[in-house]
Amino acid sequence: MATEAKNQNNLKAFNYEKEIERWTEFTNAIMGAELSAHHTPRKPIWKKNKATLWHYAPVEKKYDIPIFMIYSLFNTPSILDFAPGSSVIEGLVNNGYDVYLLDWGIAGYEDKDINMEDYIADYIQKGVKRTLRHSKAEEVSLIGYCLGGTFAAMYAAIAEEPIRNLIVATVPIDFSVSALPDKWEEALKGNGVNVDRLIEVFGVIPPSYVESMFRSVTSPIYNSPYVTLLARANDKRFVEKWKRMNKWNSGHVPLTGGAFRQLTIDLCKENKLVKGEFTIHGQKVDLGKIKANLLVVSSKNDTLIPEGQSLPLMDLVSSKDKTYLSVEAGHVSLAMTGKLNGILNNWLGEHSS
Amino acid sequence: MTGNKTFDPYETWKSFTNNWEKQANDTIHLWTNSREYVNFSQGASDLQMLFQEIFQKNKQAMAENLQLLTKKDLVNVAKLSIQTEEKLDAIEEQIWNVQDSIESREKEFRSLIEVSHETNKQIKQLKKDQQRIKKDLEKIGQIHFELLELKSELAEMNSLKEEVVSLKTLLAENNPNKDRELALLSK
Repeated sequence: MATEAKNQNNLKAFNYEKEIERWTEFTNAIMGAELSAHHTPRKPIWKKNKATLWHYAPVEKKYDIPIFMIYSLFNTPSILDFAPGSSVIEGLVNNGYDVYLLDWGIAGYEDKDINMEDYIADYIQKGVKRTLRHSKAEEVSLIGYCLGGTFAAMYAAIAEEPIRNLIVATVPIDFSVSALPDKWEEALKGNGVNVDRLIEVFGVIPPSYVESMFRSVTSPIYNSPYVTLLARANDKRFVEKWKRMNKWNSGHVPLTGGAFRQLTIDLCKENKLVKGEFTIHGQKVDLGKIKANLLVVSSKNDTLIPEGQSLPLMDLVSSKDKTYLSVEAGHVSLAMTGKLNGILNNWLGEHSS
Repeated sequence: MTGNKTFDPYETWKSFTNNWEKQANDTIHLWTNSREYVNFSQGASDLQMLFQEIFQKNKQAMAENLQLLTKKDLVNVAKLSIQTEEKLDAIEEQIWNVQDSIESREKEFRSLIEVSHETNKQIKQLKKDQQRIKKDLEKIGQIHFELLELKSELAEMNSLKEEVVSLKTLLAENNPNKDRELALLSK
């Protein structure tokens, strides 16, 4: 008798209208119109090839030192301006910083020969020069996320421009540590993977390959986000966030062959950056020349960039003021949830006066 | 009764899927983490590259025969535009240098103008001083002239004095009896 009553209660709890709404929201989230990205107001101040240097003006300027942000080559930087209320850029702008974001754009076949050296010397260095000129500032703070952090560190080591602060988040520096299964790593570091052949045929690595590469390392089967969406499809705020996340997650961009070659051979295979053998247009990248104030942020649950890849940077630089933070977050959720925002506001506030 | 929670089949499904997905991914990583899989994967990749390359070559050859634009032609055009953009950037940077040098010259000019203003002020001051000195000199000349006059007057007075003395002595010599007469008269 008791079981029957319980089953009846459960049947009563089944709400047909709610279920129709759930499935409608679920279908719309997957197949419906995309949400607009880049909600923080911005203006382009420089364009080079596919790249754009965006300027986000502060709501009320408090700090003279502008922030120059560099994101990874694998995806769009929209994760740094994820959603109103949980955007890294919005937070910085609200706190009185001039923010400049170097958006790499989408590489075409004609860009196949652009390598990491070109990205640093011809895009980042020139972008920083333009930032200094546009902001009329005497110094700049660099923020690099993921591979953008590696680029920021490499640039800081050869920079002629005055860099006050260097902040890197979930950054791969020491490639002797890897998140790959050991036999894959062995093949990559040995002769098991013919990178040159792939580059020769494709020129630029297609986005689907980039996505497969990351998916195979992190999560080859990827159903749980859709199940979570269905379970919470009645929660409009969650659905909106999910749509933004899904859009970003499926927005991988093509990777130029030149950059892919240097990433796999010079960094992953030969670990040249840590050994001090990496060069940018003939100039040796010595991380020991970095004297800017340094903040390294790692995520404890990062399945892509283990902490061991970021931590060695602390010993390689000559900075007197250096801080290492290990945060309870994932590779992407660090930026997405606003945790990075809080860290930046605290640390940068102390180092930007 | 308050502790009762409504059964949600979606939450149960979600929980089951999450666990299953994690286990399945771990299993895939375990299975694929072998030299055999890596070799197989490399072989498959090589084969794909071979077919891709054959397809690309055929496409290129067909497009050339039909006199159609190929990807390489488009790349060449795109590269030309990129080169132009780079040249424009370089020119812009040179204009910056020119701007900077003009600004620095402007600053120099401004400082020069300030210096010349200062010099002008000093010259005006010097002129005023000169005029003042001139007036003073004129006054000194006047005083000098007056002194000379005074000197000549003094000289005249001296000569007059000498004349008076000589007259006195002359009078004294020529009229010695007059004193006696005067003395007698006074008695």
